[in-house]
Amino acid sequence: MSFAERMLKIDRRIIFVVIGLCTLLPLLYPVGLPIKISQEVRGVYDHIESLPERSVILLSLDFDPASKPELYPQAVAILRHAFKKNLRVVAMTLWVSGTGMADELLTKVANESGKQRGTDFVFLGWSPGGTAVIINMGQDLYNAFPSDYGGKPTRGQPVLEGVNSLKDVIYAVSLGAGNPGVEAWYVFGKDKYKFELGGGCTGVMAPGLYPLLRSGQINGLIGGLRGAAEYESLIGQKGRAVAGMDAQSATHVAIIALVGLCNIFYFSLRRQARQQGSQP
Amino acid sequence: MDATIIGAWVATGLTLFIFSFLYKDNPLFKLAENLYVGVSVGYTIVKTYDTVIVHLIWKPIVENQEWTLLIPVAIGLLMLTRYVPKAAWLSRYAFAFIVGVGAGLAIPRTVSSFILKQIEDTIRPLLMLVPGEGVTFSWNLMNPASSVNVIIVLIGVSSVLFYFFFSVEHSGPGKMVARTGVMFLMIAFGAAFGYTVMARMSLLIGRLTDLIEYSDPSYGRPTLWLTLVTIGTLIVLSRRSRSEPPDSH
Repeated sequence: MSFAERMLKIDRRIIFVVIGLCTLLPLLYPVGLPIKISQEVRGVYDHIESLPERSVILLSLDFDPASKPELYPQAVAILRHAFKKNLRVVAMTLWVSGTGMADELLTKVANESGKQRGTDFVFLGWSPGGTAVIINMGQDLYNAFPSDYGGKPTRGQPVLEGVNSLKDVIYAVSLGAGNPGVEAWYVFGKDKYKFELGGGCTGVMAPGLYPLLRSGQINGLIGGLRGAAEYESLIGQKGRAVAGMDAQSATHVAIIALVGLCNIFYFSLRRQARQQGSQP
Repeated sequence: MDATIIGAWVATGLTLFIFSFLYKDNPLFKLAENLYVGVSVGYTIVKTYDTVIVHLIWKPIVENQEWTLLIPVAIGLLMLTRYVPKAAWLSRYAFAFIVGVGAGLAIPRTVSSFILKQIEDTIRPLLMLVPGEGVTFSWNLMNPASSVNVIIVLIGVSSVLFYFFFSVEHSGPGKMVARTGVMFLMIAFGAAFGYTVMARMSLLIGRLTDLIEYSDPSYGRPTLWLTLVTIGTLIVLSRRSRSEPPDSH
């Protein structure tokens, strides 16, 4: 068996160990590779930055713990930015399995920023219906969410003063891990009720959302952990996403190297087979 | 014991049990996998019951006398007639209502958002009239709206659409157009795969970050102890499977 054949039949567990080490070592010994800010992430940041104090932004945390490593840091960064700008945050989720995590996240960042529930932010929780909830909120927010996550009536809460429906929301950001998510918020929300919309998503979903970004249907897109790291850099509060960027780069280099090597071995084997086939 | 510490031990243990699948399928992985499915379903059922039945149906009807809510409740209950063969036909009314409302809401909005808006964005003018400069052609590849990118999008969309046009044989000039379409498709698949790799690595980074955090003495070093337990269990299971006689069936 030639070297190339042995390499192509290598135990997959060796590759797992290589990838594991490429991830673990930069996490233990960070290098601090520079992070370049993309236009799509800057789109969300600039819009929030331009909002006047006490404006209402809606943050829809449309993900569950399975997508936590990518979308949780995005949510933390956006909330920190919104609270720093003294905006009123109306948070909710379209994913029932993400309600507990979303409440924990919101409470944690609000406590860290010294914000009051009911005055500076509210967590509406989850309501059944998927995309129909967005339409319902567009007609009457209090009908879609008569009470918040803690069971307190939403009507009369200072944070929702002057907000009756989605038409009164200045900016909405959906951090989505699937459907319903960013696309649903565009189709049933922005397109109908005409508020500005930004998006955040997992890396897997990002290529599918670029057409919406290019056509201006969303004004910014935070894609995966990389996007979260960019947002953390923009607000100047580096967190888990920035810490993971060295590991991300190292694993990408390892994967590129493995793909390159596999192709070299494959083509060398094919050449060998052709040469053997041409011999009488 | 503090709930945070218990949570750290549970999270670490389940993460390591799931990672043990990378070595080979084993009972620890099965335990974690089944727990994940069970907890997810249980959580969803409880949250749905609390939100829908208690807060959106029971309390408004009983406490606020909102009797109109009985109409959607009745339509919803018709769904359950599927379990009674003689009355199963009644569920068709509920399904008809849901399909009708769903289609009515979704079709116009989807056509407007994903077809008309995207066509509008695809057909952009090649040349721009800038006041004072006259007609200009922008070569900036980094600007998505530049003239050169408009041409690339036009070539990409036309060639990919032609590739999926099977009524004409892809030969001669048509073959070249179809091949161009394939190249655009490959670039799109490559970008999607690249993002997928990035996403999967992000998930690994997330778990490893937690494992590093939980290796701290303030949590009782669950990462260290549970790694030893997992490796030990895998060794025992491996030895046991070797010593067992092969299945006679």
